[in-house]
Amino acid sequence: MPSRRRTLLKVIILGDSGVGKTSLMNQYVNKKFSNQYKATIGADFLTKEVEFEDRLFTLQIWDTAGQERFQSLGVAFYRGADCCVLVYDVNVQKSFDDLNNWREEFLIQASPSDPENFPFVVLGNKVDVDGGNSRVVSEKKARAWCASKGNIPYFETSAKEGINVEEAFQVIAKNALKSGEEEEIYLPDTIDVGSTSQQRASGCDC
Amino acid sequence: MHEPDIHDLSDDADYAAASKQGSSSMSRTDSSKRSSSSDPEDAEIVYLKDNVTIHPTQYATERISGRLKLIKQGSSLFMTWIPYKGQSSNARLSERDKNLYTIRAIPFSDIQSIRRHTPTIGWQYVIVVLSSGLAYPPLYFYSGGVREFLATIKQHVLIARSSEDANVFLVNNFQDPLQRTLSSLELPRSLAKGSPSSSFKGTPSDERLDKGTLEDNQLSNNIQQNNRQRQKNHDPARDISIQVLEKFSLVTRFARETTSQLFRESLVDGHGPAEKRRNNWASKDHQRQEIASNDVDDDVPKRVPVASDPLEFEKLSLVWGQPRQHPLGLEEWSTFLDSEGRVGDPNALKKRIFYGGVEHNLRKEVWGFLLGYYSYDSTYAERQYVVSVKKSEYETIKNQWQSISPEQAKRFTKFRERRGLIEKDVVRTDRSLSFYDGDDNPNVRLMHDILLTYSFYNFDLGYCQGMSDLLSPILFIMKDESEAFWCFVSLLERLGPNFNRDQNGMHSQLFALSKLVELLDAPLHNYFKQNDCLNYFFCFRWILIQFKREFEYEKTLRLWEVLWTHYPTEHLHLYVCIAILKRHRVKIMGEQMDFDTLLKFINELSGQIDLDPVLRDAEALCVCAGENGAASIPPGTPPSLPLQDGSIYQQQDDEVL
Ligand SMILES: Nc1nc2c(ncn2[C@@H]2O[C@H](COP(=O)(O)OP(=O)(O)OP(=O)(O)O)[C@@H](O)[C@H]2O)c(=O)[nH]1
Ligand SMILES: [Mg+2]
Repeated sequence: MPSRRRTLLKVIILGDSGVGKTSLMNQYVNKKFSNQYKATIGADFLTKEVEFEDRLFTLQIWDTAGQERFQSLGVAFYRGADCCVLVYDVNVQKSFDDLNNWREEFLIQASPSDPENFPFVVLGNKVDVDGGNSRVVSEKKARAWCASKGNIPYFETSAKEGINVEEAFQVIAKNALKSGEEEEIYLPDTIDVGSTSQQRASGCDC
Repeated sequence: MHEPDIHDLSDDADYAAASKQGSSSMSRTDSSKRSSSSDPEDAEIVYLKDNVTIHPTQYATERISGRLKLIKQGSSLFMTWIPYKGQSSNARLSERDKNLYTIRAIPFSDIQSIRRHTPTIGWQYVIVVLSSGLAYPPLYFYSGGVREFLATIKQHVLIARSSEDANVFLVNNFQDPLQRTLSSLELPRSLAKGSPSSSFKGTPSDERLDKGTLEDNQLSNNIQQNNRQRQKNHDPARDISIQVLEKFSLVTRFARETTSQLFRESLVDGHGPAEKRRNNWASKDHQRQEIASNDVDDDVPKRVPVASDPLEFEKLSLVWGQPRQHPLGLEEWSTFLDSEGRVGDPNALKKRIFYGGVEHNLRKEVWGFLLGYYSYDSTYAERQYVVSVKKSEYETIKNQWQSISPEQAKRFTKFRERRGLIEKDVVRTDRSLSFYDGDDNPNVRLMHDILLTYSFYNFDLGYCQGMSDLLSPILFIMKDESEAFWCFVSLLERLGPNFNRDQNGMHSQLFALSKLVELLDAPLHNYFKQNDCLNYFFCFRWILIQFKREFEYEKTLRLWEVLWTHYPTEHLHLYVCIAILKRHRVKIMGEQMDFDTLLKFINELSGQIDLDPVLRDAEALCVCAGENGAASIPPGTPPSLPLQDGSIYQQQDDEVL
């Protein structure tokens, strides 16, 4: 019996409010950009079927709110992630500075089995703005940071123009798949079996 | 500024009684410990503190004192907090309140973090946050001992101080990610339930612990009762221990048998007790209403049998929902006003609005009352005066940020960040509405200015996402900048805690929601419990912004004015949540939705919810829950006015860790 893990790949998109997480997800899944996306409240996800090495996978892409005040919600959403996408806005220094926090927060809350090798992908978004003239974080700086964190793959994207979005998500899917397969060692097929009765017997539920 | 209550505890009767109670129950604990000492792995009390107290309301005089214990059993550490029996400072706090707050042997593996508050004046307290995301109300240490508490925990479980906030202690959570292993708490959700390392949850030894240390307190709470019943009887549909519900299902049956009768009298004719209302429901006509709710869930592919609704809710909504009325119009409005413009009978007005809402052109005037910007007994002239005074007050506050020069802003990071957030959000708020669409829309500018001014008016709260959603309809109705601002201020008096940094306002509402579902639909509650959905995060957006994203704009306006009447309860929004969940309970349980699927399902309900039937159901549920419902909602839960102790704590260095 094939494990659920093999077909469903869970990806979490994190980053400061307004860096373009929702826009990137929609550009990738629905191939469109809209000025009318609302600020994300709580969390939501989109799914997309991807084919890889002749196998079909469902990519489940989670989009969460960027405001730090809502981070305590993360614990409910991060668990079981196969890949984490960190997004910043190349025109906003703080969004880049915060990447480290997002990464650490994710590792704490998601508690992947092998944090050292957990796959991240970094996206520097909104490269289209003002023809690149308002940019404050250089590609070099971003790549240096990625290298220092264990060679995180890096892409410069525009959700608006659809630049590099497809390419980035291919790498995201590939890395999620790799981590998903490694996790199978720890996650045998017994995922739901026998857990219900135990759960029922547990004590306080508040 | 609020003055914290400083009590001299020595002449406090409640305190003295509590102390006595504490010492007598100590010996009971000892004896019970002995009686279970045949167990090879006996529970050991490693920490015990008396007079640890919960303040369920904003009044410091209302409180529930109890004993806090840390219990070690095997390699697991548990925390209990049991209220003292029979001691209550105030008649309003019943045994039921105590049961509601009792903490029964919660294993530390279920605890995510502990936040310590050490105010300069007043008692120290801690807030325990569970890994489900819910939190217990603050535990005040009247006799000190927070440090010792944390130090004891540290001896038995891994805790680490959060790098973000020195007063937050993360439990089972390693700061260095490399050290982390597949620890019991942090496994992926799907695995955690079945993994051996977490299997001590609900093991027989856990039961034994409950019996050995807790039953002597003779506080049988609902959960305990439920557990016992469950053992006897595996049909969850019959697993209702709450007496009142049994009574109500009798009423349902009675009502069904009296279909031929038709009574047109008003459902609720005052603020009378549930008793009175019950009589009225029993006489409701239901044929007429049957038509309305036939469309619910009948195309559902039922894959598993679903426990039936204990309230026979489908029928209940047929029988009891009060039909919605037409909105309040100008002519009728004038009958509520005396010659000088005072509202003679605010309650009658609220009731009228609760059942019908307000016609659009009247909203600007009436919302001012509902939100508390105008007082009901003000005259036309007084209101005019208020408007002008408030206008200049608004300008003064607005000027505070308007006068910040670019040079100054360069050195004012917080200001720039706030402004940046607001700028990003106002252009993402209701842009599809013509009132806010297009480039350089002046109303978007107004929204920006009001939010930035608010973040100066309430600098501690600042700006948080979701606020623009709350402001948008208010500005749309009020049109005027200053009036919209002050109405928004009034709304946030009540909903501000939704946006608190520690999220306590949201936690208490989600906690109340879970209690209410447990009360009103035990099978659904059990389903959520078994599927790790008890944190109710799928209702987060509903609650945070009062369903703003769930209905068309016009319907949101209607819902809000109904909620703001606080007519049957301040917390109608929680019953609205339950009404919506109940309408889909068959689908949720039948399709065996897990947390992810449920969240997606709920998010996609946006725009699909029919407001009027939901409001009727919500009212019926609220009346049905009666006092038990009210008791399930911790006092201070928004939109009730918040507990007045949040702003007086400060960070302190701690010698424990
Ligand atoms: N020019 C440009 N604008 C973008 C791009 N991506 C997003 N935006 C805009 O940036 C703003 C924020 O985008 P969102 O996708 O909503 O940002 P988010 O990261 O999801 O924000 P939160 O939901 O608040 O966490 C919106 O006004 C978008 O239209 C981009 O690549 N280029
Ligand atoms: Mg978003």
